[in-house]
Amino acid sequence: MKLSDKPVANPVVVLREEFDDWAVLFNPDTAGAVGINPVGVVVWKQMNGERNLEEIVTHVKEEFNDVPETVDKEVTDFIGNLAESGFVGYALKEFDK
Amino acid sequence: MTQKSANRAKNPVMRTPRSVDVEITSQCNLRCRYCYYFDNPSVTYQDLSTDEWLKFFEELGRCTVMDVTLQGGEPFIRKDLPELIEGIVTNRMRFSILSNGSLIDDKIASFIAQTNRCDSIQISVDGSCPEIHDICRGKGSFDGATRGIRILRHHDIPTTVRVTIHHYNVLDLENITQLLLDELELPGFSVNSAGYLGSCTKNSKELLLTALDRETAMVKLIQLSERYEGRFSASAGPLAEARRWRRMEDAFSEGAPQFPDGGYLTGCGCSSNKIAVRADGAIIPCCMLAHLELGRINHDSLEEVWQQNPILNGLRQRHTISLDTFDFCAGCPYISYCTGNCPGLAYTLTGQIDHPSPDACFRRFLEDGGRLPGI
Repeated sequence: MKLSDKPVANPVVVLREEFDDWAVLFNPDTAGAVGINPVGVVVWKQMNGERNLEEIVTHVKEEFNDVPETVDKEVTDFIGNLAESGFVGYALKEFDK
Repeated sequence: MTQKSANRAKNPVMRTPRSVDVEITSQCNLRCRYCYYFDNPSVTYQDLSTDEWLKFFEELGRCTVMDVTLQGGEPFIRKDLPELIEGIVTNRMRFSILSNGSLIDDKIASFIAQTNRCDSIQISVDGSCPEIHDICRGKGSFDGATRGIRILRHHDIPTTVRVTIHHYNVLDLENITQLLLDELELPGFSVNSAGYLGSCTKNSKELLLTALDRETAMVKLIQLSERYEGRFSASAGPLAEARRWRRMEDAFSEGAPQFPDGGYLTGCGCSSNKIAVRADGAIIPCCMLAHLELGRINHDSLEEVWQQNPILNGLRQRHTISLDTFDFCAGCPYISYCTGNCPGLAYTLTGQIDHPSPDACFRRFLEDGGRLPGI
């Protein structure tokens, strides 16, 4: 995945903010569910196919205190794992004319 | 990392229920003699329109409910069932259905299969043959149930079976198991027993398990669950009791410390993640507590009822009530290992919800002459 990639949250997936600190992503098509923390919730809400990975990481840095230096990799891995399990796709790049 | 804007009080209750049990109809083509649903004086047997349910399913979608269980009555009696299921699917939920199986045909099975959102359809089977199954469920119901199972299996719909054990089928458990697991090739099934609820309250002396029946069922179910390993499940009834009571007896004999869920009314955790709706639209904590009206769908906000209703929040505090405060439990050596069991049965048997249920009381079973089989 490149920092210019624009992830898109699968529109069928439901974000359940269950308790104060945790949420669940639920895919009703597969019955798959993933628990995510507040950073994951913020990342999820940013994945609209218009923001690239770099912009999402920047947003996380703005939203949270004490962000570790490894945040780029952590967010990239998080989105990559969600993509592997069908929770996330990537916006298609426009064809060169 | 901490969120800069975070300023939320800790709330031990999840924001909305994960699951909702929906009594989608009060109509049924059968009148089973131990049915928990009918003959409940607290219930208004009246159905809502298609539009009212669809509006409610939209609210469930907004509440991010994950799954809905359709029950009744008999859900397949509703002609608009495909439309209602479509409403569940459109609102990003999955569904299960509890049924007697007799109204299932290829058309509705095909429709359900193509949704790809069905977790399971549970069919009630109480005997290995019409002569036993139909005793409580009525003539022709065995053929209807087994035909329904075969149709569901043909369409690759996840199919489960619930066997309700009562006085007349307790000696048929081996044959039932062979029918379900060998002949119909189901992956497994669940068992419980008839309880003192609804129609069963009128037939309880005839149908409910005696201590000897319960012991007979326990012995046979333990044998069968060992032979067909992993293919039996039970959260109540003789098999669940045999497993739980054996752990309690062993713990008592060894002087083991209190179980994590022991000594208090912890027998039901449903109010932490689940809620129910009656066919007439009343929101209730559970189908076994149908008299506790918490609100009305499409009139009261489900989220507000879930978070703020005092009855529901009272049920959530049941686990703080110690069993040693009840005369019923006085002198019982198993208190530290007991959960007090189902509040629904506690209510119908004692008139109190915040009370242990006599139905699954280990001491009472022993006092009635029951003996716990080895496991």
